[in-house]
Amino acid sequence: MDLAHLVGIGRTKAGEHWNRGLVDLAVEAGGAALDEAAVSPTAIVVGNALGSVLGDQRNLAVYIAARLGYRQAETHTVESDEASGGAALRMALALLNAGFHEAVLVIGAEKPTDTFPDGVEAGRANGLDVLREAGFGFGVSVAAALAMTNYINTYGVDRSSFYHISAHAHRHAALNDLSFMSWALSEEQYAKSPLVADPFKVCDGAPPCDGAAAAVVTLKRPETDQTVRVIGSAGISIEPGIWRPVLELKLPAAQQSASRALDQAGLTTKAISLFELHDSSTIMGALSLEAIGLADKGQALKLAEGDALSLKGAHPAWTFGGHKARGHTLGASGMYQIVEAALQLRGDAGQNQVADARTALVQSLGSFGSTAFTHVLSR
Amino acid sequence: MDIARLWRQQPSNIRLLGSRCRSCGVLTFPERVRCAECCSSELQAYQFKGDGELLVATTVYEAPRGFVDQVPYVAGLVRLVEGPIVAAMITDIEPDKVAVGMRVEMVTRRICSSGADDPIVYGYKFRPVAHHD
Ligand SMILES: [Zn+2]
Repeated sequence: MDLAHLVGIGRTKAGEHWNRGLVDLAVEAGGAALDEAAVSPTAIVVGNALGSVLGDQRNLAVYIAARLGYRQAETHTVESDEASGGAALRMALALLNAGFHEAVLVIGAEKPTDTFPDGVEAGRANGLDVLREAGFGFGVSVAAALAMTNYINTYGVDRSSFYHISAHAHRHAALNDLSFMSWALSEEQYAKSPLVADPFKVCDGAPPCDGAAAAVVTLKRPETDQTVRVIGSAGISIEPGIWRPVLELKLPAAQQSASRALDQAGLTTKAISLFELHDSSTIMGALSLEAIGLADKGQALKLAEGDALSLKGAHPAWTFGGHKARGHTLGASGMYQIVEAALQLRGDAGQNQVADARTALVQSLGSFGSTAFTHVLSR
Repeated sequence: MDIARLWRQQPSNIRLLGSRCRSCGVLTFPERVRCAECCSSELQAYQFKGDGELLVATTVYEAPRGFVDQVPYVAGLVRLVEGPIVAAMITDIEPDKVAVGMRVEMVTRRICSSGADDPIVYGYKFRPVAHHD
């Protein structure tokens, strides 16, 4: 069943936009998506994770709508931590499929670089348990370091083998002009990058950066051939807490939402042409690969070391560089993934093109894997 | 941090006070108003002993705002002897001496510092239990 058609897409470069504010970025990406679409959305859904906590605009979608020239529209601002982009798309699908609107503009936008890194880290930490984790000095990097530690001890992998996840993402970002870190990452650069929380290095983390990505979605099939269909969608949150991914090395929400979205699409993982997963860190990338069944437990780093995840591999992943190297626009990252997957399915991915891409699985996670949104796209 | 919020958190942060469900017996930390296991709202205060085992730990060099003055610090997950798992800093030990499986006990320390006008936040950390061998 077609849940929606993506009839227009747009995105800004991911990076440091000194001359652009949060609303400016959203308007740039949203405007580009509107320009591509032949329809006029009557509702706007904006995904954003940190605007409020960093002292930026609240009720963001209202201000973006006005700046896009809307005299009136239904607006929603969605916050689901780093899964906000995926959540915004899911909300738009609900508005369409409820029959409330015929076309909806979905935008993910984030602007963290006005704030010093320790402030961004504190803002991100508030997506964990504020009272029991963030309030005691635990941020997402600390959580990732603990998970890495347990992964290394449990599976006996070498600490340095997390490099393969980062290196893989950088190889694809190097082909993508709109990425934040568009260069190949050498083993030496990785090894020399400073420790954030042992054994988690700077190069294990996806760098928080500015950006916006947008899509116009409609229920009606457009008259042009160039359509990308959303054929599966699922959102699941489980009991939050960093202890589960850290101690069990599992992401049940990621696993279950992928499984539901695939069931709805009538597909299996094997039938998917490419994967955009939530690589907020090397360990989250690895656990995501295992959650959706691309790798057995403890085998994700080995998978990344080979060619399987490359553009020409059996399971292309992070085809534009992922959060790790395209840049992690936090609440906007989920919409970057959607736009990148759409480009693949349209055959417009340029140097990043996966040959004959027919289907894509896109997954956006929040609160260290406690919240998951998965979408399956098809051409 | 706001005084009212800080005050509300004192029982859990200073005394490690949690809840015991009168209906199913499950222990939770911190205090809850409704049991997530059986949905009973018949909960009673439960005082955790503060003894536990370190399950996993890391040394933090780049901290979130509010914790920057404490780096490097050890952050880990502790399983209390009563069962619940607590995220906490490990103190009174050099980072390279920290070992998984170590027995630890709760102590009250300064947890974080925010702006000059903010109250100092106290709460639990865990330290190694002295060996008697
Ligand atoms: Zn109960």
